[in-house]
Amino acid sequence: MMPARMLRLALPIIIALFLLAFPLFASVFFVVQIGIQSLFLGIVALSLVFLAGYGGMVSLAQVALYGAAGYVLAILTITYNQPWYVGVVAGLAGSTLLAVIFALISVRTQGIYFLMITLAEAMFVFYYADQDRIFTNGHTGINGVTPPAVGPLVLADPTTFYYMVLIVAVLTYLGMRYLVRTPFGLALQGIRDNPQRMQSLGFNVPAHRIAAFTLAGFIAGIGGVLGVWYNGAISPGSIDLTRTINVLVIAVLGGLSYFEGAFVGAVFFTLITNFASSFTDRFNTVIGLAFLLVALFFPDGLIGLSRRIIQLTSRTTSGRGKGMAPPAPSSPVSASGDSAPTASGAGAEGK
Amino acid sequence: MREFIVTTLNGLTLGGLYFLVAAGFTLVFGLMRIVNLAHGSLYLSGAYLGWSIGNATGNWLLAVIGAALCVAAAGLLLQQGLLRRIQGQDLREALVTIGVSIVVADLLLAFYGGQNYEIAAPDIISGGTYLGIAGLTYPTIRLLTLGIALLVGIALWFLLRHTRLGMIIRAGIDDRAMVSAAGINVQLVFAIVFALGALLAGLAGVIGATNLSVQPGDDSLYLLYSLTVVIIGGMGSVGGAAIGALLVGLVQQYGLAYIPTYSVLITFAMMILVLAIRPQGIAGRRA
Repeated sequence: MMPARMLRLALPIIIALFLLAFPLFASVFFVVQIGIQSLFLGIVALSLVFLAGYGGMVSLAQVALYGAAGYVLAILTITYNQPWYVGVVAGLAGSTLLAVIFALISVRTQGIYFLMITLAEAMFVFYYADQDRIFTNGHTGINGVTPPAVGPLVLADPTTFYYMVLIVAVLTYLGMRYLVRTPFGLALQGIRDNPQRMQSLGFNVPAHRIAAFTLAGFIAGIGGVLGVWYNGAISPGSIDLTRTINVLVIAVLGGLSYFEGAFVGAVFFTLITNFASSFTDRFNTVIGLAFLLVALFFPDGLIGLSRRIIQLTSRTTSGRGKGMAPPAPSSPVSASGDSAPTASGAGAEGK
Repeated sequence: MREFIVTTLNGLTLGGLYFLVAAGFTLVFGLMRIVNLAHGSLYLSGAYLGWSIGNATGNWLLAVIGAALCVAAAGLLLQQGLLRRIQGQDLREALVTIGVSIVVADLLLAFYGGQNYEIAAPDIISGGTYLGIAGLTYPTIRLLTLGIALLVGIALWFLLRHTRLGMIIRAGIDDRAMVSAAGINVQLVFAIVFALGALLAGLAGVIGATNLSVQPGDDSLYLLYSLTVVIIGGMGSVGGAAIGALLVGLVQQYGLAYIPTYSVLITFAMMILVLAIRPQGIAGRRA
């Protein structure tokens, strides 16, 4: 077998073993600060990668949807003393419902217009949470949310919580990978590449977009539930512009068209924030610069970069042909805005 | 009645300020299709720079002009140094401006800290002006803000309608490729328009910090206002920005006066309403 192919077969197994064994050898700091945080941020970024990479919709509303689920969970369990499962179900329902509303508003636009409108939507959620005193408790937010104990499983325990988040992350990742191969997923990719043609073929383009955005809202909501349990609190500061952009940073760092990229980006992001903050207060500058570097020079992100390296090495070791990694899908970021069908299509409405 | 007049005046003033911020945003977007998400950072830089210059020299006019020019230079640097390399790739351009906004916000926080600053206005404009209606005295600085917004609006209208540069800009908004095919140096026009957009953001920063105050987080606030104003008014249209800014300013002030907790939701509802009826915005054109 070619080395590159062997690597591609062995890599998932190595990663799986590493993730399972992680709490056994890593310190609590690593499990909690890096492990858990990367996983739930990765889930939120996953919803963005799904929308951006497979639906051609770069949404900046994912953190707001994350916050919607988190706020509903926190309000129900803390303010109204409901059991945790009521909070979780209502939280997920809340983020999904808000996603439907957001989708109805923004789905008729595309590309850069879509980004602008979802950003405005996200900021409105933030300023609402900041202003409202009755439900969201204004600037302070809601504190004291604790992960529940389900039978013998005490989720407040870091290791148990890690495994729970890991299972949820793996399930959403696999679910997403499955979904993009279903007829719905294929139609969505068709719409990403050429909405007019799909429309002429009889596909209901807005309905597909709304469905995708709703699903992504649900997934962002899962991240929100886990995030609130992790932080023990939610406040406007958890969904402000910086956090909104952070998820975009994560997705772009990893590579906007790869589901794996969401988690790779999240690991890099948490590592950078944690270690940069230990030697400088200006870790946001470090993140911003890293993001700038990726956006300017590696639009396919870290995964795209590593695939290109694997491609190159496999080409040099095995000549040409079989040993090559599959061609990388084109990144929505590297696509030229003017020549891509997205900009000349319905998205040009706002001209 | 008195309260209503004051609220209306406040709304108009705020609308004027929003127009100053959003005009540059929409101009850059209209011509270059760049969604400059660092526009809020340019506003914030202008506000802080204005405070520093005002504090050092004690001259308000110098603060206004100096800060606006510095921010224009910074904008030019951003466009020539970073954005020109990836010209025409609208999503990447937006991402790069996001990166810049993260860095700028963090560096400004490092330099100026978390507290509020207010730029001191000179004596002539720091008092109130008797209006003669319902015995009202209204802060002169706010009237001045309205006047500056009006002046900038007229200047932009004149620039776009009655100068050669404006003619090129309008042609560029309609069809960039044709303009450059006609032998016009589009790169130069891009640079001028981007610098002009940044200049307006910087100017708005100083005016805003004199009227209200400036603090970290204002960059995202004014970015949101710019976005809302151009989404409502129609992306790329300066006239639309004026209508949008007035609407947002007035609705916000009435909301704040009569239903304080949910004024944000009212602005949001207005945006949804406009998008539902006219997805291209009030003055936007369909492709």
